[in-house]
Amino acid sequence: MLKYILKRIIIFIPTLIVISLLTFVISINAPGDPVDTMLNKTSGGDGQASQKLATEKAYIALRHKLGLDLPVFYFSFTNSAVADTLYKIPKANHRKTLERLAHNYGVWKNVSDYYQDIHEFEMALLFTERDSLNSEGLRTVRDYVNTLYDLYEESKILNIFSNLDFTFSQTKGLEKVQPYYKALKNAFVRMQTEKNPIAKYIPAFHWYGFNNQYHRWLFGDKPWLSSLPGVDDSNVQYTSKGFLRGDFGISYQDKRPVASVIWDAMRWTFILSTLSIILAYFIAIPLGVTSAVKKGTTTERTITTVLFILYSLPSFWIATMLITFFCGGDYFDWFPAFGLGSLPESAPFWDRFIETAYHMILPLFCLTYSSFAFISRQMRGGMLSVLGQDYIRTARAKGLDEKKVIWKHAFRNSLIPIITLFASVFPLAISGSFVIEIIFSIPGMGKTTLEALVARNYPIVFTVMLLTAILTLIGNLVADVLYAVVDPRISFNKKGTS
Amino acid sequence: MSDSNIQIQQKPSESFWKGVWKQFVKNKLALYSFRFIIALVFIAVFADFIANEKPLIAKYKGEIIFPVFKEYIIDLGLSEWPEDFQNAEWRRIEFDWAVFPLVPYLPKNIDFANAQSVGPFDEQRIESLRWKHWLGTDELGHDVLSGMIHGTRIALLVGLVSMSIAAFIGILLGSIAGYFGDTKLQMSRIRVILNLVVLPFAFFYAFGTRTYILQDALSSSFFSFLAQLFVSIVIMGAILFVLNYLIVPRLKSVKAFSKKVSIPVDILISRLIEVMVSIPTLFLIISIIAIAKPSIFIVMAVIGLTSWTGIARFIRAELLRVRSLEYIEAANALGYSEFRTILRHAIPNALSPVLIAIAFGIASAILTESTLSFIGIGVPPETMTWGSLLSSARQSTAAWWLAIFPGFAIFLTVTVYNLVGEGLTDALDPRLKK
Repeated sequence: MLKYILKRIIIFIPTLIVISLLTFVISINAPGDPVDTMLNKTSGGDGQASQKLATEKAYIALRHKLGLDLPVFYFSFTNSAVADTLYKIPKANHRKTLERLAHNYGVWKNVSDYYQDIHEFEMALLFTERDSLNSEGLRTVRDYVNTLYDLYEESKILNIFSNLDFTFSQTKGLEKVQPYYKALKNAFVRMQTEKNPIAKYIPAFHWYGFNNQYHRWLFGDKPWLSSLPGVDDSNVQYTSKGFLRGDFGISYQDKRPVASVIWDAMRWTFILSTLSIILAYFIAIPLGVTSAVKKGTTTERTITTVLFILYSLPSFWIATMLITFFCGGDYFDWFPAFGLGSLPESAPFWDRFIETAYHMILPLFCLTYSSFAFISRQMRGGMLSVLGQDYIRTARAKGLDEKKVIWKHAFRNSLIPIITLFASVFPLAISGSFVIEIIFSIPGMGKTTLEALVARNYPIVFTVMLLTAILTLIGNLVADVLYAVVDPRISFNKKGTS
Repeated sequence: MSDSNIQIQQKPSESFWKGVWKQFVKNKLALYSFRFIIALVFIAVFADFIANEKPLIAKYKGEIIFPVFKEYIIDLGLSEWPEDFQNAEWRRIEFDWAVFPLVPYLPKNIDFANAQSVGPFDEQRIESLRWKHWLGTDELGHDVLSGMIHGTRIALLVGLVSMSIAAFIGILLGSIAGYFGDTKLQMSRIRVILNLVVLPFAFFYAFGTRTYILQDALSSSFFSFLAQLFVSIVIMGAILFVLNYLIVPRLKSVKAFSKKVSIPVDILISRLIEVMVSIPTLFLIISIIAIAKPSIFIVMAVIGLTSWTGIARFIRAELLRVRSLEYIEAANALGYSEFRTILRHAIPNALSPVLIAIAFGIASAILTESTLSFIGIGVPPETMTWGSLLSSARQSTAAWWLAIFPGFAIFLTVTVYNLVGEGLTDALDPRLKK
């Protein structure tokens, strides 16, 4: 048994690697710039030079702190047109443009020169004193230069250049920045003439080593030895302990640690799903047994039909209807529609308890009915197949009373399918019932994740995703082990149990 | 030989499906469900003729026109609307006479006179009963019945497309895993090594160098993306074809290269299934959809790509059983290629559990899609689906018709597919025959 569990845990490792990779790939392709989100700023075309420089500095500092200035992965497999140092360019949209330009023109040195020239031109414009003569023109030129950072199509860049030419011819007092503009144009022409269309077809492989974003996200950059108990780690410098040591990063929105955000949300989801699971099992098991034992009677047919209907009713529909009909509106005003009550923390415990319980009735109902219908159906199926076995007939034949036959002999053996269902309890505790929480505005995992998703607060989303996956794996393992406990016929030591 | 061969094969299989149908028909509930699905398909196909703002047939300035038909021709780019009909409000055009569809509204039409959720029994501001909103309107004045008729299309399409994708992947991977197991797929050493080496490069030329073409295609339209994706797959296939059929056979003559090694496909694919199963599907779908542009086709593709594991498991288990049967051995002995044996002989006999899985899969795909559009993720806001109709009930809580009808449509469709699935289970599994 122990050997089997160990084997399963070893098999977890590749599975976890694949899931973490998948999560990571989605997260780095997610739109939006996390640093910008956290700084709450987008760099505009206009503004004071000092202010702009300060923003840029803060941007680079925060990017370093989040570890986003590292290479993305252990290695890269791209084409030879793109340099292996592309990750050092701070802004995501600049990187995107540069990659496209390199793809189009094929010579990285020229592309990089062109980028440098845009930057120098922008800086020169920032340090140009504004006066009554050039005010209007300066603003226009700055805007145009800013759009250049996002352009990679030749026609659009040339269009900007002709606009710039026009503005320069119209405005006086911009002579100082003219040389920078010339240099930029020259760089562009060089890029165009020294085109290397083959470069993008030559694959290039770069090895970056372990100091990369993925590695840091998963393992952190704090030495593992310093995490051992009893080791003094007060003067170890690190930015993250890594996912595996419980450091899930920082939420982009409120800058709280993701772990604490998730912890807060998990409480409610945990209470809700635990209650609903307990309730569901308490109702489902006797119901399932009854309908199996009384097979063929009207009671059984009624139970089966009702269960089937309940099972197919989408819970978000029932929730919507309950809110429409029982929560104010034009009909019955029996239950609160949203939230968990508004009593302050200082209110007496019982008042708060009753208030919360009152708010939880409807969500709990919606969560419970579908799962109890499902469990009953499983229970009925399991019980039916057991009741047909020979040993039940034997038990009856030797004169045991019916209650004993059912509860002592049949029931225990029919529990097996129910146990598999228990495996799904683990992931449920964390992901919760997404839709129900959203509909009833319960601040649990589902709602938190959806809000994080809409606000592009990815650290939360991906932590939830990875945690749920890990819990599913654990749940499956627990179910398998429970199987063996309940059914002695199942053995994991034999060969060929895959 | 081939003619007689086919006859021998087809006879038993035909009677098998006949038997299944006979058994299926006995289950009245399943049969009615099946008929209901056919009715739904009919509504979905002819939605434009049942609910439309344009007349089916009309006489305008002495000319008989078929505006609904013409719309199709115009969508194909073969014709254009005459001046009079451009940006016109069809109801206000003065036809000599016109036959409007049963429901004279499109889901996108806004009836300003009946905005702010007017119910079916409320007093509606309409010219005649012909223009009544039989199932009411929503907050903006969209006709609910029309939205539900056109929503049928999306619901059924979601089930069809996503389950086709899932069935394709599931049958492919499941049959490879089940048929070959861990020992039966043998390749020469050189083939394995070369394939492993060349695969990244094939991927590089097919997808890496074409990243931007694919990206631009995706942002313009889903179909141009599919076209470009096809080109990429062809490139990849061509590279692998050249490798496996032109280069490898020449190198195989060297003795050291030609030694056979077996590939543990079953372990690999089973692991992949385990990975897919442990990923929380709804989260995965939501995060993929959140980073892509909202499109109903992306929703379908993602649902399909995440729900093939059940089918793969079933067909793997079936093929594990089937592959050791005598007729497969006979096929092998006759010298049929492995491909033919799997496709023509092994898979058809393993299809029944897959069929059941597909029926249940469609039900859950429809449920997933309506959940997604209910919370407003993935489906563009202008697309009217049952889920998005239902979610409009959350804004206007007094509108019972918005809560009941779309939800009931979802419930009914899901249930009907589940019932057909159960009917199929009974009909296909001889052990359950009573």
